[in-house]
Amino acid sequence: MTRGREAIFFTAFITLVMLAALWVAKDWPVRAAIIIFLLGGLGVVLAAVQLFKDYRAIHAEGVGIVRPTFEVAAIEHEGKWGSLEIWAWLWGLYFAIHLIGFPIALPLFVFAYVKFYGGGWLTAIVLTALTWGFLYGIYDYLLHVPWPKPWLSAVLPW
Amino acid sequence: MFEAALEGLIGVLQPEAFMFMCLGVAIGSLVGFLPGIGGPSTLAIMLPFVMTMKDPLLVIALLVGLDAVGNTASAFTSILISVPGSSGSQATILDGHPMAKNGEGARALSASFVASLLGGIFGALVLFASLPILRPLVLSFSSPEFFILTLWGVSMVGILSGNAPIKGLLAGILGVFISTVGLDAKSGVERFAFNVSYLWEGIDLVLVALGIFAIPEVIDLAGRKGTIAKAEEFGRGYVQGIIDVFTHWWLLLRTSIIGVWVGFLPGLGSSVADWFAYAHAVQTEKNRENFGRGDVRGVIASEGSNNAKEGGDYIPTLAFGIPGGTSSALVLTAFIAVGIKPGPDMLTSQLNLTFAVIWTLVIANIIATAICMVFARPIAKICFMPFYAIVPPIVAFVFIGAFAANFHNYDLLGLMMFSSLGFFMRRYGWPRAPLVLGMVLGDKMELYLWLSYTRYGFEWLARPAVIVLIILLLASVLYPIYTSKRRAAALPAED
Repeated sequence: MTRGREAIFFTAFITLVMLAALWVAKDWPVRAAIIIFLLGGLGVVLAAVQLFKDYRAIHAEGVGIVRPTFEVAAIEHEGKWGSLEIWAWLWGLYFAIHLIGFPIALPLFVFAYVKFYGGGWLTAIVLTALTWGFLYGIYDYLLHVPWPKPWLSAVLPW
Repeated sequence: MFEAALEGLIGVLQPEAFMFMCLGVAIGSLVGFLPGIGGPSTLAIMLPFVMTMKDPLLVIALLVGLDAVGNTASAFTSILISVPGSSGSQATILDGHPMAKNGEGARALSASFVASLLGGIFGALVLFASLPILRPLVLSFSSPEFFILTLWGVSMVGILSGNAPIKGLLAGILGVFISTVGLDAKSGVERFAFNVSYLWEGIDLVLVALGIFAIPEVIDLAGRKGTIAKAEEFGRGYVQGIIDVFTHWWLLLRTSIIGVWVGFLPGLGSSVADWFAYAHAVQTEKNRENFGRGDVRGVIASEGSNNAKEGGDYIPTLAFGIPGGTSSALVLTAFIAVGIKPGPDMLTSQLNLTFAVIWTLVIANIIATAICMVFARPIAKICFMPFYAIVPPIVAFVFIGAFAANFHNYDLLGLMMFSSLGFFMRRYGWPRAPLVLGMVLGDKMELYLWLSYTRYGFEWLARPAVIVLIILLLASVLYPIYTSKRRAAALPAED
């Protein structure tokens, strides 16, 4: 699927969000719904125009053009996995935090990431130690943050 | 006013505040010369930390210090390796990098640092000078005018922060919608919470900012992989670069004015300021044949404007509570969280805090320039850190920061969801700044709209100031759309 076609799906998603917001807000009192009606109505019209523009762009150019924004260039990744690789790391960290807890998952993530991409032992150990030090020193020792209980807490020794 | 200025200066020079300012400058400089990590991402990462602070002066010192200097250090990578450290230093590459290739890297760097310093101080002075004009104006405004102003702020950022005006406006509306999530205290209605108690308090801006800005940058950095290009020679002409800035003082002054003006207009960030200033330099300077091949005037124009822009940016932020861009929207969020009330209060009862911002802008620029000048050679080496040494610590900070929003497991889920939204927005060319701005201003917009309606019915639309503001709003929304249509129509003819 081309980027232009993907872009249409995203615009359609935003359109649905606008419509859903209006639908949900229709039962609210005026005080709560006034801003949703004012901006949501405008949003649906704008989203429809954007959908039309995206559709026309695909048919005009064949593949569709996604022009980058001023603020930063749109993400372009090469290679077989593209952005999926880093997403896998992020979701892996997310589940690791739930499974084994923050104090272990974060330093482990840092160490594994550095070593996986060919970083030296020294870099890996120093960054891991800094992360753990930051986590423990600021959040545990100073702020006494209540870390969530990991799912594997019953079998883990900590 | 003099007493408030003195109070502000004494405040930021207190040991604790000064230490926080130095920390902000150090972090701002660090992220400035690490390509891929922008100022907004860093500010988003800092939000959870600063929101636990009690003293507003410390927050000003840290965040304004950080925000003020990002563009100073970003010249390192723009000049040495042709990769902009921040979006505000893109135009610096055009002449800075050829200078480095010609063996004049040191001259380009010193010129950029001094131009940044003087531009930054100029921006702060304009902010100072604008106070007497702004005060009566802001105090004469009522809820209808403030409603139109908030609407104008979101619209302008939506229209101008990308080259996709409709997407920008939709992002702004989406931001306002997100700000309404939770229990509405006035009507008692549960809005978009779907019986999930976690959502009753609303969605924390920290989560949105981290997800929308920080994670997509990390994804981009990780996706590009590899170390950044081979280093150029540090080169010669360090003192000459300083002399160059003073030789071309008139150019610096003009481009600084452009920077302040761009900063003042909501929606136009530093990425626009440097290009406007560079274009102005090329159009107006004599002997322009060397531009693009290593002309120091190109570096001075770009770097002077992007730092001056910060002072201009804080004028609408402090006076109207309407941030000029993403960074100031995030700074504004932190200000509100610690009890600073942007708007009329900043020009009356909290004037000393406004002066603290001005002094921080000045002092932070001086410190950043001193650091860059003294440690230029060792700092230049850090530019070449590989991605695998940068990505994991940032991810760790982001996850900790997100969890610190509410100390709830759902915080992490929220982070992942907004990261996906931010990723897709960036991937498909949707500007993200309007979303954050819409979220920041959503509460105020709703309140001002309701107050206007209940106090004046529909008569508020006939108030002279409101009519003027609506005309300005429509003009600023429609004119860029019109010019972009005209440009698009002209393209095939040019081909």
